[in-house]
Amino acid sequence: MTDPLRPIEQALGDEGLFFTRDDDEDAYRVAFKSEGDRYFVVSYRDDPTFVMIGSGWALPGGADPIEAVDVANRLNVRKKFVKTALWQEESDVLFTVELCVGSASEIRPHFGRLLNVLRDTASEFFEQLRPEAPET
Amino acid sequence: MPSAREIITRFIESEGHRVDVAPVDPETGVGELLFRTRGQVFSVTTTEQDENAMSISTAYEIPDWARERHQNAEALERVHHEHPRVDFTLAHDGGLFVATLDEKAATPQELLNGFWTLVSRLRDAGTQAIEDIVDRTESKVAAEKFINSFMMGDQ
Repeated sequence: MTDPLRPIEQALGDEGLFFTRDDDEDAYRVAFKSEGDRYFVVSYRDDPTFVMIGSGWALPGGADPIEAVDVANRLNVRKKFVKTALWQEESDVLFTVELCVGSASEIRPHFGRLLNVLRDTASEFFEQLRPEAPET
Repeated sequence: MPSAREIITRFIESEGHRVDVAPVDPETGVGELLFRTRGQVFSVTTTEQDENAMSISTAYEIPDWARERHQNAEALERVHHEHPRVDFTLAHDGGLFVATLDEKAATPQELLNGFWTLVSRLRDAGTQAIEDIVDRTESKVAAEKFINSFMMGDQ
C-alpha cells in the first residue's frame, strides 16, 4: 500500500522543514518542528482518508481551566479549520486541523496556510489566556 | 571554537528548518545562510571580522503595476520610520525591495536570543511595506487628496 502521508512529507519539503516518521501498527505519523514549535500529522491505517495536523501545548501554570475552555470555545466558533481542545485533565491544550481527503496530496498546496492558522490559533489562545495587568 | 555562522546554522536546523550554507567569501570573510519559514526565504549574513554580529534579510517582489520607484522609496521610508531597526533597499530596477535587520550581541551564542522574534519583526515590517506599496494606487492617492482638500474646505 502506498504511504498516505507521503504528500505531507513533500509539503514539508516545500516549506523547507525537516521531519521524522513514527508509524506504528495503528497509524502513520509525521513529526516536525517549525520555528522551534513541535507539530504532528496523523492518519490511521483503518481510515487513511482522515488526516489530522496538530500541535499540543502545556497550559501555563496557574491558568484557570474554566477560562481556558471559554477561550477555546470562542476560538472554535471564530476560526476556520482549527479545533481547540483542552485534554489530559485540562493540563494541556491541543490545536488540530482535521480533514477528510481522497488523498493527502489535496492538502499539499494548502499546507502553509493550515500551518499558519494552527500557529495563529495557538498564539491567540495564549494571548487571550494571559491575565491582564492590574491597573495602576 | 565554532563560528557564528556554524552556531546559527545549528540553531536554525535544531528548530526544524533546512539551511543552505553558501561558502564564505575568502576576501571579505562574509558568509550567507538561507532558510525558509512561513513561505518566505530569509538570509542570515555573518562576517569573520565580527563574530558577534549578523544581518537577517528577506526580499519582497513588487508587482509590475506598482513599480513607481520614487513613490515606493517614500513608502519604504515611512515604514522604516515606524520600524527603525529595519532598513529597506530597492533593488533590481525597483522590481523588489530587501528588508534587513542588523543584530549585535556580546557573543555569537547570544545572537540566538530572540532569533524568531527578530525574524517576526522583519516579516511584519516587510509585510507592512509591501501592503503600503500595493495599496498606494493612483486612485487611492487621488481619493485621499480629494478627501483631504474637501475636509479643508477647498472643494
